[in-house]
Amino acid sequence: MWARARQWWNKVASYLVLGAVAAPFLTMYVSFFLRAFGKRMYLGVVPKEFGFANFQFLWRPIAWGLEQTTVWTALGNTVFFAVTSALAVTIICMLAGYALSRIEFRGKNFFLVLQLFLHAVPGQILLIAIFFLLFYIKLLHKIPGVALARASLEIPLGIWMAKGFFDGIPWDVERSAMIDGCTRFQVWYRVFLPLVKPGIAAVFIWGFLFAWHDFIYVYTLLPGTIKLMSTLIQSLLATEVIDYGYLAALSLIYMIPPLLLFVFLQRALLRVPVFGGKGV
Amino acid sequence: MMRISLHNLSKYFGDVKAVDELTLQIQEGEFVALLGPSGCGKTTTLLTIAGFYRPTKGEVRFSDRVVNDLPPRERNIGMVFQSYALYPHMRVFDNITFPLKIKKVPKKHWGTKATEVAKLLEIADLMDRVPGQLSGGQQQRVALARSLVKEPDLLLLDEPLSNLDAKLRITMRAELKRLQKDLGITTIFVTHDQVEAMTMADRIALLEGGRLQQVGSPEELYDLPATLFVAGFIGTPPMNFVEVSLEEVEGRLFVITEHFRFPLLNGIAQKVHRMATSREVVLGIRPEDIKIGQGKIEAEVYVVEPLGRDTLVTLRIGAVGFKVLAPPRFRVAIGERVQLAFSMERIQLFDKTTERSLLL
Repeated sequence: MWARARQWWNKVASYLVLGAVAAPFLTMYVSFFLRAFGKRMYLGVVPKEFGFANFQFLWRPIAWGLEQTTVWTALGNTVFFAVTSALAVTIICMLAGYALSRIEFRGKNFFLVLQLFLHAVPGQILLIAIFFLLFYIKLLHKIPGVALARASLEIPLGIWMAKGFFDGIPWDVERSAMIDGCTRFQVWYRVFLPLVKPGIAAVFIWGFLFAWHDFIYVYTLLPGTIKLMSTLIQSLLATEVIDYGYLAALSLIYMIPPLLLFVFLQRALLRVPVFGGKGV
Repeated sequence: MMRISLHNLSKYFGDVKAVDELTLQIQEGEFVALLGPSGCGKTTTLLTIAGFYRPTKGEVRFSDRVVNDLPPRERNIGMVFQSYALYPHMRVFDNITFPLKIKKVPKKHWGTKATEVAKLLEIADLMDRVPGQLSGGQQQRVALARSLVKEPDLLLLDEPLSNLDAKLRITMRAELKRLQKDLGITTIFVTHDQVEAMTMADRIALLEGGRLQQVGSPEELYDLPATLFVAGFIGTPPMNFVEVSLEEVEGRLFVITEHFRFPLLNGIAQKVHRMATSREVVLGIRPEDIKIGQGKIEAEVYVVEPLGRDTLVTLRIGAVGFKVLAPPRFRVAIGERVQLAFSMERIQLFDKTTERSLLL
């Protein structure tokens, strides 16, 4: 009897604790969605007049101060920025990850440790150096240039991720490819890349997400006239009258592309090939 | 077709001498087994021949050309790995034609070449499957087809049969041997299984601790093992060993132990006279070379194991155990005392310290 009550209490207690921890976040998300679709809020939490009034920016220009842009321009810029950055991360990590997984060279371990160390360095302290670097190679104030600079922050850990995927391929498969006539590059391109598709997808998403959400690099290294979603939302926050419904709706649009990317790449992420043959 | 020669080949990994001063000639069209226990250097030797490892010292020669620095892709060799190492993302057809694709053979020839090897290996109906849908035996055939499609000068097989079940292994043993003879490709295969080596190879190179122990035909290794290690490694059940002393009595050389003594045959005695450096030697005799129920050596039956084709009897002479192959219906009780006779012409004698045969 007592044991049962105790069991029941343990269960309830854990739900209570978990609920309490989750509550603030859930409230925020709920309020965020409600705000996006409600024109006015009652007591700050209960929406009135549901509708798409907040989404006017989809067909009207967005203005801040004396300037204006459209959400489509900002979204286009953000996609361009994030895809460029993610592609740079993916290509470099796939090459470096293969090399670190399969080729013996002097200083390999040092290089690997260095990557971890580099990952620990916060991106902000590099901003000034990167500013001058981009300035000298004439890529400052250009989206591709800043995207490359942003990519460099994700490359260290991305290399470790990629290496992990290549490590999973048996040596015999590589040797087999070399016996069949492949050069190192052909081994990488024709045999290994198709086998690490989940890894490619993972590294790409990794690079894409961080670039998509980036604010500080975009804000510092791009001129105010080139707006990405993050800087656009920031500039709307900086105006005198803040329309929260409008911001929530804009943020919702900002969230959609990464979600779509996940859905799109999910299959690749989950498809793990069976290696070698029997007993491997 | 190619002649392979290894000349003082050594491969060290740090302080570990994986292969040490290996010299071996392999003739055109020969089927050679690299045999030895795990860690003996046989796979390292194979990978060095394939070009994955660069020899630390010595040379690998293909025909008369030194190929130490030639990358694997330029050696025109076929290789089948223990795990088969098929490309899991490609269909069987694409697996088999992959070497042709890399070699830039025109696409119109792929079909005929692939069909040719597929027919040879009886896998023509599997062309559209992927490796994950094949059994172990089928995967191995595909791996063989892939290695043969480019018409290699040399075929390397790394433990080709060890991932197959026992029954299939016996079938494939014979098939591989026949295939190799039909195609006439110089072939080197690595195995730890002495039965595989004995049954398939023209010649066996037995390695231990990175060093070549003996090279020769299966019969040579079986009948006249060069070292104690070879004698113990080749043959199941293994050879019996007993420490004995040699003594000369009235011009005849006698083998003497606490429990028995007998004179050696003249032929053997002469060789021993020439080679022996000490009176204390090791005598070896195979289980099938001991006759039970006759002779003068007394032994006690320890255990009897019927094998169907014959009966394996373990005996004790003093503290030393002997295994003897007796006729199939041989029945004897544990603890019974029996008489033994050694086939005198089949006796092996080894030096106790160098462990080398005294009969060579």
